[in-house]
Amino acid sequence: MIAFADVNYFEPWWIQIVKALLIFLVIFGVLPLLTVYERKLLGRFQHRYGPNRVGPYGLMQPLAEIVKFARKEAFRPTGSVGFLFRLAPAISILTAVGGLALIPWGNVQNILGTRIGLYGIDVSIGPLYVFALGGISFYGILLGGWASGSKYSFLGSMRAAAQLISYEVSQGLALVGVLITAQTLSLTGIVNAQRGMWYFIPQIVGFLIFMVASFAETNRAPFDLVEADAELVGGYFTEYGGTGFVAYLFAEYVNMMVVSAMAATLFLGGWLLPFGIHPPGWVDPFVVLAKMMLFMTLFIWIRATLPRLRYDQLMSFGWKVLLPLATLNLLVTAIIVVH
Amino acid sequence: MSVVMFFLAAGAAIIGAIGVVTLRNPLYSVLALVCHLVALAALFLLLRAEFVAAAQVVVYAGAVMVLYVFVVAYVGGGEEVSAGSTLRILGPLFALALAVELFIALLGSALSGIHRYGAPYKLGFGTPEQIGRLFLTDYLFPFEVASLLLLVAAIGAVVLARRRRGLEEGALELKDLLAMPRPAYTGTIAEGVGVRRVREQLEQAHGGVTEVVPAGAPGSEEQS
Repeated sequence: MIAFADVNYFEPWWIQIVKALLIFLVIFGVLPLLTVYERKLLGRFQHRYGPNRVGPYGLMQPLAEIVKFARKEAFRPTGSVGFLFRLAPAISILTAVGGLALIPWGNVQNILGTRIGLYGIDVSIGPLYVFALGGISFYGILLGGWASGSKYSFLGSMRAAAQLISYEVSQGLALVGVLITAQTLSLTGIVNAQRGMWYFIPQIVGFLIFMVASFAETNRAPFDLVEADAELVGGYFTEYGGTGFVAYLFAEYVNMMVVSAMAATLFLGGWLLPFGIHPPGWVDPFVVLAKMMLFMTLFIWIRATLPRLRYDQLMSFGWKVLLPLATLNLLVTAIIVVH
Repeated sequence: MSVVMFFLAAGAAIIGAIGVVTLRNPLYSVLALVCHLVALAALFLLLRAEFVAAAQVVVYAGAVMVLYVFVVAYVGGGEEVSAGSTLRILGPLFALALAVELFIALLGSALSGIHRYGAPYKLGFGTPEQIGRLFLTDYLFPFEVASLLLLVAAIGAVVLARRRRGLEEGALELKDLLAMPRPAYTGTIAEGVGVRRVREQLEQAHGGVTEVVPAGAPGSEEQS
């Protein structure tokens, strides 16, 4: 059985299953630690300690919280639509986890005589796959808000959806600059094309646009109007408690990880190290993970630093500043590459 | 494996298509259409047309249907829409005519597609590289014409939306609204931006200001 891309070699089917399980387990092992990391860091930014009661340094905090969430009563509001109310968080987390398959953790390695690519799949359509998933994740958010039967949830989901589709355009256009420079859509190909120079130097404008759009895409501060508690209580997951809430929360964090990984892959050279250092192949995934953590720290830092935008500022910034800038970047890149 | 996937996707596509026409709630109808489109994308994947599959999801499920969902979720409530009596008779007739036509086409090929292998697979078929090359060589003219059509449609949409927003002669414009005297602390955007602009406009319009909101009005702080 051949994987979707033209990988030029065949992987047995069981290797793909093992890879899928491994990626899933590693990410869902890192995820709870990430929530502690965020709260610890936010605490330090705000001159307090953050969680430090459960376990050493408060590291067991997520465990306690997962138990708490899982044991909550699964109720839903009277006006809600039952099956959509349950389906929406599932769509959200499904599309978020689907994005993990694309992250290239390393080049093709020779492990025990078989050639194994250190990535879930290397599709020939590359980033388009992520955008397709992003298009579907819209339904998870909108249906969650709509099916709750609550005004706050509905307005929150409308904001989220409008924000998602506005900033997806700029994000996509910023990405095309990288694709033109690398002249391939395959993500491993893009990393290999960055051997001379990481793309955040020639594509600095695209990088900045991509990062801003990513903050808006993942509904993180300063673009977290979706859950602007002063206006909307909790946004589209106002009515969710227990497992549904955790599903949305995890989907948000997985989306952050995917976006961080994409930024690291497209602009920071993926598993490559600077100054011509060539470590053995097993180091590659850790390099990618370290670069992802860099972006996650940036996400948290920005959250602690910047105040929330107003809604009309958000929209006019997206359409009147970011989109023309991304188009200009694309045009200039195309002209430079062709000449 | 691919056979299982085919029947799953084909079943989902058919169920979705039936749901579009039978469900009475407009939002459910739209969701059924989304399900149908995603299932079609899965079928494209089975035909190794990865780019077409991605484009299907990004463009149709991710952009076109999003607008439908927006409109239906905003406007369409629980009320059911029922077609007129003429449509109710004509609709099935047209559907039947289309079905007969499709069956004629299907049976006319003597079902040769079923008991034979499909077209041979060439390496690189359906990849964005190949599609892009075809667009810029063999199909350059249709490609350019289609892009021109889209451009015309986009400009047309902008023109129509501008006219409907009330920019005709004598209509109430934004600057008129700004110049209206209004009680303080009503939470307008102008107050959020700062009062100077409002004050200037009020002075221009009326020659004086009754009351002006201070810049840092109480209650405007937000907590994250």
